[in-house]
Amino acid sequence: MTHEVLIVGLNHRTASLDVREAVALADDQLDDANRQLRELDGVEEAAMVCTCNRVEVVSSARGGEVAVARITDFLRRTQRRPLADLQPHLYNFAGRDAVRHLFRVASSLDSMVVGEPQILGQLKQFYARAASVGATGAVLHRWFHKAFSVAKRVRTETGIAGRAVSVSSAAVELATTIFDHLEGKTAMLIGTGKMGELAARHLLANGVGSLIATNRTFERAVDLARALHATPVPFEQFPKYLPMADIVIGATAASEFILGEQAVQEALRERKGRPMFCIDLSVPRSFDPRINALDNVYLYDVDDLAKVADENLGERAREAEKAEVIVSEEVEAFWRWLGHLDVVPTIVALRDKIEQIRRGELQKTLGQLKELPPREREALEAMTTALVNKILHAPIARLKQHDRRSEAFYVDALRRLFDLDEPDER
Amino acid sequence: MNLLLFALSLALTLVAAVAFVAHVTSGREGAHRVALGALWAAFGLETLALALRFASVGAGVLDSFHDHLSLLAWLLVGCYLALQARIRLDVLGALVSPLAFLLNLSSYLFYSGTETLPPELRTAWLPAHVAPAFLGYAILVLASCVSLVYLLQERRLKAKRPGRLHRLPSLETLDELNYRCVAWGFALFTLGIVTGALLAKTTWGVFWVWEPVQVLSVLAWLVYAMLLQARSLGWRGRRAATLTLAGFGLLLVTLLSFSVNFGVPHGRTFGG
Repeated sequence: MTHEVLIVGLNHRTASLDVREAVALADDQLDDANRQLRELDGVEEAAMVCTCNRVEVVSSARGGEVAVARITDFLRRTQRRPLADLQPHLYNFAGRDAVRHLFRVASSLDSMVVGEPQILGQLKQFYARAASVGATGAVLHRWFHKAFSVAKRVRTETGIAGRAVSVSSAAVELATTIFDHLEGKTAMLIGTGKMGELAARHLLANGVGSLIATNRTFERAVDLARALHATPVPFEQFPKYLPMADIVIGATAASEFILGEQAVQEALRERKGRPMFCIDLSVPRSFDPRINALDNVYLYDVDDLAKVADENLGERAREAEKAEVIVSEEVEAFWRWLGHLDVVPTIVALRDKIEQIRRGELQKTLGQLKELPPREREALEAMTTALVNKILHAPIARLKQHDRRSEAFYVDALRRLFDLDEPDER
Repeated sequence: MNLLLFALSLALTLVAAVAFVAHVTSGREGAHRVALGALWAAFGLETLALALRFASVGAGVLDSFHDHLSLLAWLLVGCYLALQARIRLDVLGALVSPLAFLLNLSSYLFYSGTETLPPELRTAWLPAHVAPAFLGYAILVLASCVSLVYLLQERRLKAKRPGRLHRLPSLETLDELNYRCVAWGFALFTLGIVTGALLAKTTWGVFWVWEPVQVLSVLAWLVYAMLLQARSLGWRGRRAATLTLAGFGLLLVTLLSFSVNFGVPHGRTFGG
């Protein structure tokens, strides 16, 4: 195989945060880095990927060993803060392993939190950056776009990204299990704890219409309310507003329960039994646990939410296994395509295809002209052969003389234009 | 011919039931497509079977108990499919399709072609009574299935194990659906009771006979009336779901007493 696919880099598993920080490039260095990578000995195409969890060079190369050494050297040269030894943190993948690695990264199977959705967007951005300075070609184009479509397939065919895995998102998930939609719902935030604020932001982002904020020190409630576009109410009056709240979040540092059975019961009466979701994020707890026994009230504390998030994480691990199967299928398909991306087999395939057409059409015509004498048949045969050769001459000659970088582009274009690939490789 | 259609529809309903349960427990999308496809096909075939039977025996289609059972199953599946077209309720399908299968199966087993209604009941009032009553029954059965799902979901949330059946609709959706089903079912059921009394009047000259079917029907009617009234006082959610199931229990007893009466020729005074 003349086109070798390679990935050299490090990620959150092989390098600690300070190593990753040292190697990661600043945004304004990226274009230069992509240009320089492409100029390296043996490297034909390259794209740098640099997120907070990984620094990787994705490339198509010739003469693997040399290219790996050059890229490693490049990473060592460009780091912001020289490290004693970068080598133990680096990995390199070649061939099928490299293809698989990029597909796994795109599908978020290699992420710190498996199934997190950001990585795909980041990958698209980094590919676009490399393409914009001309560092990529036909191989990386196809490879990255295949990776994007694999990620999409994984997303739709498995439940890998389906479930909430943080406490705040678990709260949102539970809220949508109780209420059909969060639009037009009202939430109340008691206390100014960080977790509470985070949960409130999450709920607002997911459609909750209005937020009431309260705190023992009213000024702090006012501050928080301003930040969250909420309505502040004095602490003494919050039970009066309780019936309006579909969701109540507690994030206080109180040592006793600030929300008891009685208050909730009264609120429920006024709500005519419409359900209430109480989220107690305070440690020690600030909502009386007995509230959960009331009809139409669902009380979750920090541990409950963490348990839900954990279970979801377990489910993701199961879904990840399904995703690996999808990745493997796609690796094979891409590998076959890559194998065909050579000049010689492409010329053979092109000749075969045209020859097949020539023969087919000739046979059809001769079938209709049964009376034709053998000499004229031969003339027809010679004429069609000449026709085919003349037409194919220029493109084949051009293909043979092209330099290696544009070669992959022409080969790929030809294979597509003349439909030379198997259906599953497209 | 008719029986063949019927058996085919029965088999398809079983396929739908199995596929629905598989979908809900495993989350496989393929199973859902199979389930819905099979259920639509079963519904189509049963519609054809019922139409053919109607063409051959006319209003006599309402004469026998096995017809009543298959009519109920047909209406139940029809209501579910109409609902499913508007909101996705896979888990309800996993309850409705096995139920429809059981109803159709017992109808199939009951089929002997001999049981008939007393001739004096064959009046124009009979369809006017049976049609709303049965549609009402079907919708109330659907309401009970919705209530069952509600109780399941509610228990999981209270126990803080929302777990795997995450495709369940939200409590709010289920409660609202329960309300609508009970309201519609109740209205039709009321119409059924009124027309039933009129049927009794035209046949025997009296509106009310102390007949188990009649008494039980009125009891069930009272439960549902109470349920609708209590909702405005804040009886929603779990209590509403439990009451819906209680009403369904009474309805089931009503249907059973109806069938027992049918078993004995002329052992009953009039038809439900």
